[in-house]
Amino acid sequence: MKEPLYEKDLTTMKYDILVSQRHDRMVREIAADLGVPQLKVRRYIMDHFDMILMENLPARYEQGKRVQEEAPEPERYLGAYLYTHAVPLIGEDCMDEIISGVKEMIRGGTSMDQAVLSGKSRLREAIAP
Amino acid sequence: MTLLQSLKNFVRSKSIHVAYVDVGSCNGCDVEVLACLAPRYDIEQYGIFVHNNPREADVLLVIGAYTPGWEGKLEGLWEKIPDPKVAVAIGNCPISGCLFNRPHTLVDPPVSKHIPIAAQVPGCPPRPTEILSAILSVAPLVYRDYEVRK
Amino acid sequence: MKRTVDVSIPVGPVHPCWKEPTRVKCETRGEFVLSAEVELGYMKKGIERIMQGRPWQEVMFLAERVCGICSVIHNMVFIEALEKMSSIEVPERAALLRVIVNELDRMQSHILANFSYCYTIEHETLGMYLLDSREKVLDELERITGARITCAYMVPGGVRFDLRSEDALHLRASMDMLEKEITRYTGMFEHGPLIALRSRGIGILTRDAAREACAVGPTARASGLPESDRRLHHPTYRKLGFTPISREEGDNFARIMMRFQEMLQSISLIRKCLDILPVGPIRGGGIPGAGEIAYSGEAPRGELSYFIRTDAAGRVIDIAIQTPSIMNIEACCHYMLTGVASMADVPSTFVSSDPCIACTER
Repeated sequence: MKEPLYEKDLTTMKYDILVSQRHDRMVREIAADLGVPQLKVRRYIMDHFDMILMENLPARYEQGKRVQEEAPEPERYLGAYLYTHAVPLIGEDCMDEIISGVKEMIRGGTSMDQAVLSGKSRLREAIAP
Repeated sequence: MTLLQSLKNFVRSKSIHVAYVDVGSCNGCDVEVLACLAPRYDIEQYGIFVHNNPREADVLLVIGAYTPGWEGKLEGLWEKIPDPKVAVAIGNCPISGCLFNRPHTLVDPPVSKHIPIAAQVPGCPPRPTEILSAILSVAPLVYRDYEVRK
Repeated sequence: MKRTVDVSIPVGPVHPCWKEPTRVKCETRGEFVLSAEVELGYMKKGIERIMQGRPWQEVMFLAERVCGICSVIHNMVFIEALEKMSSIEVPERAALLRVIVNELDRMQSHILANFSYCYTIEHETLGMYLLDSREKVLDELERITGARITCAYMVPGGVRFDLRSEDALHLRASMDMLEKEITRYTGMFEHGPLIALRSRGIGILTRDAAREACAVGPTARASGLPESDRRLHHPTYRKLGFTPISREEGDNFARIMMRFQEMLQSISLIRKCLDILPVGPIRGGGIPGAGEIAYSGEAPRGELSYFIRTDAAGRVIDIAIQTPSIMNIEACCHYMLTGVASMADVPSTFVSSDPCIACTER
């Protein structure tokens, strides 16, 4: 098969966007929140997002965090809005599944912290298998 | 020189097609090129037609200090312009890199490393009148006796 | 993003309607656009990297060259951030002169944006009328500051040059003339049947989508988000009794009309400034020192934020710039372009959000 005529490898240019001060802080925060290595978050973002979305990520992340604070209990800790709409790391169906699983666990008598922790580990698996 | 050749020289000097390409500037020069279109400067009264299609262009205005995204693409664009052709550097950026040519920068000036530049219009940004007079003075030189020289 | 699609139509990087190079890849079914993605990297100069470790006197000129079209506001936001950080007072006359210059800059930027749109939908007559008016605005800018573009008019503690009384007279006369012209062109745009065919109901950005993409400036205000205007938080604009305007439609037509209305608003703001302009000094003095600040102002395209950290000598240690075009182009490509019915509407929709690639990539 022939190579596309005008397509170019964009990895270095995407990396240049990601190393700016605010992007770097955002990647660190996401990595710490989910317990995923920073490298994997960067890799995921570079593979799945287009360049203008990458440029806009810090603004979206901060706005997502503001919305997130008003969300109900388990969704707030799991980042239901943040990781599906603001920084679309994960599909909505997948997130719904995880949240319903967590809610099920809470109803079954597991403590909130425990349930959120298990939800986060499922998030981690979805983003960085 | 034959009569036909002198006729060609005359007609061509009254019909110049211009394309511009920005290879990484602050776009201040872009808007000054656009300002040439304004009724005050009225670039079309000199027979210059600005449209951004390199395949029909005679004069290419190069603006900006050559960013990594243009690696290989500016040369490709230059090849697509039919002969006779000429490139004019607008502003300080393609000449020296202006403010952007500092440590840790991504740009790689001057543009003349990558494509041949026939004329330079310094300024940050140059005034529309300067751009206009540069195009007008360089374009006839390109066409003059093109068939004879070839 | 690596995806396999049926038909992907690239638009750009060199395109007759675009002032700057960028590449929009549209995934289409027939001519119906299913989704679009943007490829940048043609204008990445790394200004933030150059700025780090340099004294503010140098960063000031670099900040201006983030964007050539709206250079005044980049200068203003950077200088006001430094002033706020080191508590430098600005004389009232200088504060009002800053507003005058900023509004002139906003007018020329809006006129250029509307010219680009008219040019894209092939209404060249209106486009040329607008470019002629832009020259008049640039004349005033040159008369006051000494340069058409990149004027570096503002310095910490004031402005560089005073407004002479004959310049003020000329400015007033120009404003009267421009008001007449802009009102006429607004009418032409509003009632043109062919313009409506190319603009109304195309490229709709709903209010929720505008919130999600953090759209700012005229793009957000055309979708019914007037509170996004940062001028509401600026002390001088508050003193002038500034109230933002907004529209509800959120289509191409609303975005262009929004800019026309804001031009008229700018004219009335300039008149108000000239009315209350007191006699007095234009420079208070003061030297920026150490500090850290996040400061935003309203650029012609929307909210512009600077995040700055300096040391005691006034050197910039860390800087991040968030320009309005980032948010607006994202809103345009991921929300407006989805569902556009024809490829011919892709450039016009893209241009209607007033994209500035030099800002976006810095």
